[in-house]
Amino acid sequence: MDKNQILEKLAAVVMDGTEDEAKVLAQAVVANKIDPLEAIEQGLSKGMEIIGGRFERGEAYLPELLMAAASFNAAMAVLKPEIEAQKKQLVKLGKVLIGTVKGDVHSIGKDIVASVLDTSGFDVVDMGVDNPSLNIIQQAEKIQADVIALSSVMTTTMPAQKEVIDTLKEMGIRQKYFVIIGGGPVNPEWADRIGADGYGKSAIDAVALVKGLMAKKK
Amino acid sequence: MTNFLDICEKAIHGPIMSERDFDMKVFMPKLNELVRKYGIQYDRENPVPCDDQAADNLFQAALEFLASVGIYCQDTNRLIQFTKEEILDGIAKAPGQCHLGEGKDAKVFGMRKPDDQKIPWLHVGSGIVSTTEEMITNKIEAYASIPEVDSISIPALDSIRGIPVAAGSPVELYAAIRSVKIGRDALIRAGRPGLPICNLVATAASAVTTIAASAPQFGLRPTDGWLCGTVAENKLEYGTMNKIAYLLNWGANVGAETAPILGGYCGGPAGTAIVSTAYIMIGILALKGSYQLHFPVHFKYGCSTTRDVLWVVSASCQAASRNVPMPVIWLGYMAGGPNTKMYFYESAAWLLAATASGAPSVQTPHSAKAVKIDGFTPMECQFGVDMAKAAAKCDRQQANHLVKKLLEKYESQIDKAPSGDRYQDCYNVTTGKPSEAYVRLVKEVKEELSGMGTSFA
Repeated sequence: MDKNQILEKLAAVVMDGTEDEAKVLAQAVVANKIDPLEAIEQGLSKGMEIIGGRFERGEAYLPELLMAAASFNAAMAVLKPEIEAQKKQLVKLGKVLIGTVKGDVHSIGKDIVASVLDTSGFDVVDMGVDNPSLNIIQQAEKIQADVIALSSVMTTTMPAQKEVIDTLKEMGIRQKYFVIIGGGPVNPEWADRIGADGYGKSAIDAVALVKGLMAKKK
Repeated sequence: MTNFLDICEKAIHGPIMSERDFDMKVFMPKLNELVRKYGIQYDRENPVPCDDQAADNLFQAALEFLASVGIYCQDTNRLIQFTKEEILDGIAKAPGQCHLGEGKDAKVFGMRKPDDQKIPWLHVGSGIVSTTEEMITNKIEAYASIPEVDSISIPALDSIRGIPVAAGSPVELYAAIRSVKIGRDALIRAGRPGLPICNLVATAASAVTTIAASAPQFGLRPTDGWLCGTVAENKLEYGTMNKIAYLLNWGANVGAETAPILGGYCGGPAGTAIVSTAYIMIGILALKGSYQLHFPVHFKYGCSTTRDVLWVVSASCQAASRNVPMPVIWLGYMAGGPNTKMYFYESAAWLLAATASGAPSVQTPHSAKAVKIDGFTPMECQFGVDMAKAAAKCDRQQANHLVKKLLEKYESQIDKAPSGDRYQDCYNVTTGKPSEAYVRLVKEVKEELSGMGTSFA
């Protein structure tokens, strides 16, 4: 296989969600001395972009998206040591701390956003569900997050999104983070009302939103 | 039959695994395999299928799915597993009926089959949040004033003394107790104090709130119903199990609450239909429900009226009502809101699909995806009752024909559906009466539906 064929196949195995083949192809990238960063950009990321688009249009479902992400990460596990060995740097677009707020145990929407952000080049730390506001803030401080993404799927847990923002203000560190929100009952009006930096209706929306916010930071 | 302590034991001693492994290595691949093995296929041309053999095949797929996958306990990180024999034993011994209500409103909620002309158990109302006690009282009084109503859901309060109700906070407990008292008082005002409330505790998310607000001095009775839900998909946490343990010890009605998500871990319509059917067995086996509240929804659109979700509702309702004796309240989320024609087209389509497919009960379809504060009124309840009665006269083929016509009216609008009015926009809050414009809109829709072949007589 020549370079172009390997890159095309990398995109294809991500779309197919076949982890083992993704690993084998990533090894071929190393063996053929293909630039691993190019393999990510022109192969793996392209596959994720296509599957993400299909998911957004309702042509693919969560299992396909998660399997694609797993293949992406399987290939990355092979490519990362090579990137380090070549003293190159994997450019991360920013660090996102994501979690569902206190009192809410819903995870699917948050999982999807985390997965799509991760495979779109962001460094993502997923705190899971039912997180007290202060825990979220302490974790954001600890990992030096750029963005805090808060999910709420019930009207009774929406106030917890506001609580995180209010607490950041009280602590005098609101300006350190972009805070974005999402979830079934959440809408742009609520985001404005509580002083969030943005609202994402879907995972793809969230990626565009975070990219836009990070561009402002630069 | 396994009892609830057996379930607790399974949650402690089942195989251990991470939640991610359960999703990725157990749930999704097994579901995919069984979709292929049983040849479950979504038929987009027939949102209300009419094939008893296919319904029974779907039941068999769901049975094998539950026996293979089990339920994941999020607190112990272990699988609650059932053998096929345990599941079949649970189904064989399920009573297929539930006793609800007191006095003259005490009734037995039983089963229906596909094409059954029996009117389903009519459950009206919703837990959609309301902002004032006056509106809640008006709504509940109006629900109970519909003579055919068998049971109700009461709204949740969004704040107490201006303090927002946050899940798990003490304010939630105040709001839950207050909602219960308002609910019972409004039922007394309507002359139906014995009417069962089946979404208790309305404002409660946490176990402590449910248990505390259920103390009898606040007005609840074991003949009401409490919702105890799974987490999507096939997951259970100790908070829910604590509620169940309390209610079973009291002898109160557990309402098993389940909501498969099309487009989520279930994948497409075929997988979602399997999971949806398996959930009715979970309602009996793991949640120990006296009845069940079940509402498949679409992940992307947040509603139950897309063509594929209607098919899931119909197919899994047929599979369950033919094979699993569990009185299920089927509920749908509409994309459109109050005082929009969109809502009523969706509501009619959803009620036709569920009722003709053998739903033992249908609940008032919820407006504006159930997330609009004050976005639910008694008008939707009255229409839901009238439409469910009309739908009971239809067999699956007739329902399929009507649903397809209705889909032509609203399907292309789902992504940009109007969220409609709030209660205070289309009702007089003081008198509790709807605006003339809203009455006129519903009359127009019913005339349209009659013209299409629906019989409201």
